[in-house]
Amino acid sequence: MTERTKVQDPKHLLRDYMWAHKWLYAFGFLCIVVSEFVSVQFPNIIGQFTDRLQAHQLTMAGVLHYVGLLFIVGAGYVVLYGFGQMSNGRLGRIFEYQLRKRLFEHWELLPTAYFRKRSIGDLLNHAMTDVQTVREALSQGLNILTNALFLLAAALVMTFRTVSVKLTLVSIIPLLFLPVFIIWWGPKIRDSSRRAQEALSDMAELTEESLTAIRLIKATANEDVEALRFTRRVDEIVRRQMGVFRKTAMFQSVIPFLGSLSFAIALLYGGYLTITRQIQLGGFVAFTLYLGMIMQPLQQLGFVFNNFQRASASLLRLGVLFSELPSITDPEHPIEVQTIEGAIEVRLPSFQYEDADVPTLQDVAFSVQPGQTLGIVGRTGAGKTTLVNLFPRIFDPPPGTVFIDGHDVRDLALVTLREAIAYVPQDGFLFSTTIRENIGFSKEHPTDEELLEAARHASFLEEIETFPDGLDTVVGERGVSLSGGQKQRAAIARAFLKNAPILILDDSLSAVDMNTEKRIIASIDRLRKGKTNIIIAHRLSAVRHADQIIVLDGGRVVERGTHESLLAAGGIYASMVALQAGEGVTA
Amino acid sequence: MSGPADSSGQTRRGAAQPANPADVTERYAQRPQGSFKALLRLLPYAKPFRMQFLIVFVLVVVFNLSNVYQPYLVKVAIDRDLSNGAHNYTGLLHISLLYVGLVLVGVLASFAQIMVLQYSGQSIIRQIRLDLFRHIERQSMKFFDETAIGRLVTNVSSDTETVSQFFTQFFLSMVRDGLSVLMTIVAMFELDWRIASYAMVLIPILFGISMAFRKHLRQAYQVTRTRLSSIVAFLAENLAGIRITQIFHQERRQARAFEVLNSAHRQANVWNYQVSVLFNRTFELLGNLAVAAVVWVGGSAVLRHAILFGTLYAFITYIRQFFQPINALTQQWNTLQASMVSADRIGRVFMVEPIVEEPIQADPVVVDDVAGLVEFRDVSFAYQTGRPVLHHIDFRVEPGQLVGVVGATGAGKSSIMSLLTRFYDPTEGQICIDGRDIRTMAQRDLHRVVGLVQQDVYLFSGTIADNIRLFRSDISDETVVASAKAVGAHEMISRLPRGYDTPLYGKGANLSMGERQLIAFARVVALNPKILILDEATASLDSQTEELVNIGLQAVSQNRTTLVIAHRLATIRHADVILVLERGRIVERGTHEELLALGGLYAELHRKSGIEAAPEENRPHQETYASSVLVHPTRVPE
Repeated sequence: MTERTKVQDPKHLLRDYMWAHKWLYAFGFLCIVVSEFVSVQFPNIIGQFTDRLQAHQLTMAGVLHYVGLLFIVGAGYVVLYGFGQMSNGRLGRIFEYQLRKRLFEHWELLPTAYFRKRSIGDLLNHAMTDVQTVREALSQGLNILTNALFLLAAALVMTFRTVSVKLTLVSIIPLLFLPVFIIWWGPKIRDSSRRAQEALSDMAELTEESLTAIRLIKATANEDVEALRFTRRVDEIVRRQMGVFRKTAMFQSVIPFLGSLSFAIALLYGGYLTITRQIQLGGFVAFTLYLGMIMQPLQQLGFVFNNFQRASASLLRLGVLFSELPSITDPEHPIEVQTIEGAIEVRLPSFQYEDADVPTLQDVAFSVQPGQTLGIVGRTGAGKTTLVNLFPRIFDPPPGTVFIDGHDVRDLALVTLREAIAYVPQDGFLFSTTIRENIGFSKEHPTDEELLEAARHASFLEEIETFPDGLDTVVGERGVSLSGGQKQRAAIARAFLKNAPILILDDSLSAVDMNTEKRIIASIDRLRKGKTNIIIAHRLSAVRHADQIIVLDGGRVVERGTHESLLAAGGIYASMVALQAGEGVTA
Repeated sequence: MSGPADSSGQTRRGAAQPANPADVTERYAQRPQGSFKALLRLLPYAKPFRMQFLIVFVLVVVFNLSNVYQPYLVKVAIDRDLSNGAHNYTGLLHISLLYVGLVLVGVLASFAQIMVLQYSGQSIIRQIRLDLFRHIERQSMKFFDETAIGRLVTNVSSDTETVSQFFTQFFLSMVRDGLSVLMTIVAMFELDWRIASYAMVLIPILFGISMAFRKHLRQAYQVTRTRLSSIVAFLAENLAGIRITQIFHQERRQARAFEVLNSAHRQANVWNYQVSVLFNRTFELLGNLAVAAVVWVGGSAVLRHAILFGTLYAFITYIRQFFQPINALTQQWNTLQASMVSADRIGRVFMVEPIVEEPIQADPVVVDDVAGLVEFRDVSFAYQTGRPVLHHIDFRVEPGQLVGVVGATGAGKSSIMSLLTRFYDPTEGQICIDGRDIRTMAQRDLHRVVGLVQQDVYLFSGTIADNIRLFRSDISDETVVASAKAVGAHEMISRLPRGYDTPLYGKGANLSMGERQLIAFARVVALNPKILILDEATASLDSQTEELVNIGLQAVSQNRTTLVIAHRLATIRHADVILVLERGRIVERGTHEELLALGGLYAELHRKSGIEAAPEENRPHQETYASSVLVHPTRVPE
């Protein structure tokens, strides 16, 4: 996973993809091109038919001859074009798939800091909408472009050859404004539709904001004021949407009007040519049909232009995503380590998030021997989670500040480092898969015994037995929804199964009851003899038996010691204990 | 031979898609269900626009007529002016001008029709949105406990949008395309009923093809959509939990899991595409064959001199015009489906009625006349039946007093607050303000009397001043500044780059926790309720912030009846009465000194907190709290 750090430009991916499938693409193009040459025969056949009919040269057999020709042309075009369309469309969709695959694999390499800065909704929009826009250009856009170019060329050639160059050139004048108009007006529609979307998301944001604060709104009898603010947003949407509609309506009116001007010229001038016998009636009839054929690709060229422009903007955005280099990577020469014992040492003068103005951690120094348990307590925002996230390099500590077994964590291979740490997040994050897959997340093929054993130690076994499908019960949105405490225990079981030298519980007992907490702490004592444990807790009962407790406040270690010594010291820890007395912690 | 069918739809996509990123998952996760009934229930919203819909109908007729007449004009030109020796140049000129005029009328009609229809559609969603928002606001807290806010946001933003497509796109297609099919048929019969009757053979064939494909089309569409929504759900979850994947070093496994979903979607996606291409091409093939057939039938008729050649020309054009609207009609199936699903979801929200009911006839409360006497009379309460959280709570707070409520997490402190604000109704007993049961007051009046400062400070995107006055126009700038000064927030605000006009981003991310608390205090001072509930949040603040907040806290509690839900004993030391809660019961009550002397739970808590002789001793308003003690210390027997 670590070798593929080179930048993947989606433009190159696209080029490589098309090159790799050049024969299929050639086939698709050929089908479409041939189909266009077939299709432009149609007006010509009708024209000839008209002339011969008018000249009374036709018998029933002659009529049938033309019917046969029309049949062949009609069917041939449809079949050929269909093949080309299908082939190109399929190729485009396969590229869509590959692009998403690459994107996900790329995201997997990026550090948490990257996702901290971005909303998942935005990233999803890239993965869904941008990828789709590229695919649209690749399949539909290409089809239409090929179709438009060749249809236009073929139709022009046919009119020049079979009708009249003069008539074509004169009639086509209004049509030439079509692509210009579309290219000019299309982005305007897109702009105003983007503004409408912004108004829409403004409203959605306000709705979310209001409903999140519904208690406040109700408690302050502010419903009317909120409704008024909401109304303003909604009215803004109406205003901007009407702008969009005005522009699209304009668009939809101008195009047929230009077409009709051409047609009127054809009628007038073509009629004149017919009357003056410069062309025949058949030629005139054929020409009116060809005009439709010319109008269509000219329109399409405009659309394709806009389509490609959109796609290239999407490609650019995707390029930015792909150009993000994984900032937390293996060192060039990782230290070869056979086993990790679990000794931790921290000598951190300061740690600051990239996007923060002040350091989150300052002057943090402590060490933990293998087999010891470290408790970390402190208020929300004191920096506890940040601190423990430095060990597995979820956030990268500065060089030479965090050591495991005496090695700087940055000098170890990521695999070695992360294999050595089992981590339980506060929210007990689980995937929406089966319990089996969640608990066994660290192993390829865990046995049932292993899984149940881990669940038992995490006091999760009884629940599993009550679930409809036991270990194979699906959790999450599409399955059994678990309570906060159940999630935490499942996540603890997952960490137990990993059985790593270092275990980190990031306030992961907050939602389980006191007795369960006691049992799990006992399991940790029993199971993890000789291994290192780090327990962050708000409820102090979880850390009272730790070998060492550090108290963080405002990013600094303000107290350290054992439960007894800290209690005796009468500082922050002691007052926290007192506060929690009501919950029976010290009882 | 209408060229590639997938080139359409570029311009018609006028209505904006929901852009809220959180919506993305929702948008792709549309499950196909819902009924036509649900849509009909929203029909009253369209009623005020009957006139507009009628106008649209007329305009569509005009537009369609202009379309239908165009081939006819050419036919006239051919047969009258151009055919065999007729040299009618003036006639030709007239026809050409008429043609342009006709198109112009059609274009104008179409422009007007789009504007009128979309305006009606927009007005309809506007009204649905406003009603929906007000309806949701009216709901009781229980509703919000049980409903995800994201879902409600989707209801308000994208479901309404989808429903509006029924009133615009679907309606328009039915009228325009339906009429245009009809008119084309009529025109053909006008021209020559015999050939027209032959053409009618097409209708059952078209119908048959559509039926044959419909099931496949729908199935392919739904499978693709479902699989796409799995991809979105997977990505959303995995991006949120990427840390877990990385720590457990399971990138490969998750990539494989993604591969399974991704390739399943690719398969369905290609299949869906192929089915729809096949459908479109079949339609087109039929169209082309129909032209050949018309040439056959019409050609032989011309041979027999049964019709003129111009008529044949018009027929060829009509036959080709016939297919477009039918194709467009078949595409409306998905619009209808989606609107029904959305209408169903909106309908479900509308059906919910608030559990906390407004009194049928409420005497208005004159806020200025309220003294602020609060009584809980033997109140019991349960969020869920059978699991009571408060038992027989009984206490009385005199106007202007400060009451502290202490107890462990889950003892029921917050429930007391929620009952006094009528977020919930008690299961037993009565809560009175100035002797009047709060259930007889309009909730609006109640909430003007009772103010609330919660643990979580909600900030709105807007300026600091907006957040203090909560966007109310009746609170002046002077009041805002005065309120901020009262709680000691003025200095902090003045230091900000744009003072009171500093905009707050991302729920107040540019303020510290303490600063946010101060804004919440200033808010309450500005609103000036007679009774105030303070759910103290200092438990999670760092030491410097605590001090800041303490000062603000003292300012707010002045001159009003105040209930403080305390997480630290220091805050309520000077309260007139302290209520000690344990498992939903008041177990002790009295002043700080009395409770200490009692030597019960409070004394125990106090002893452990180790805050003797706290520095707050010299707080400014101490005298006001030292007033009369109402309730004598008692140990309530359990």
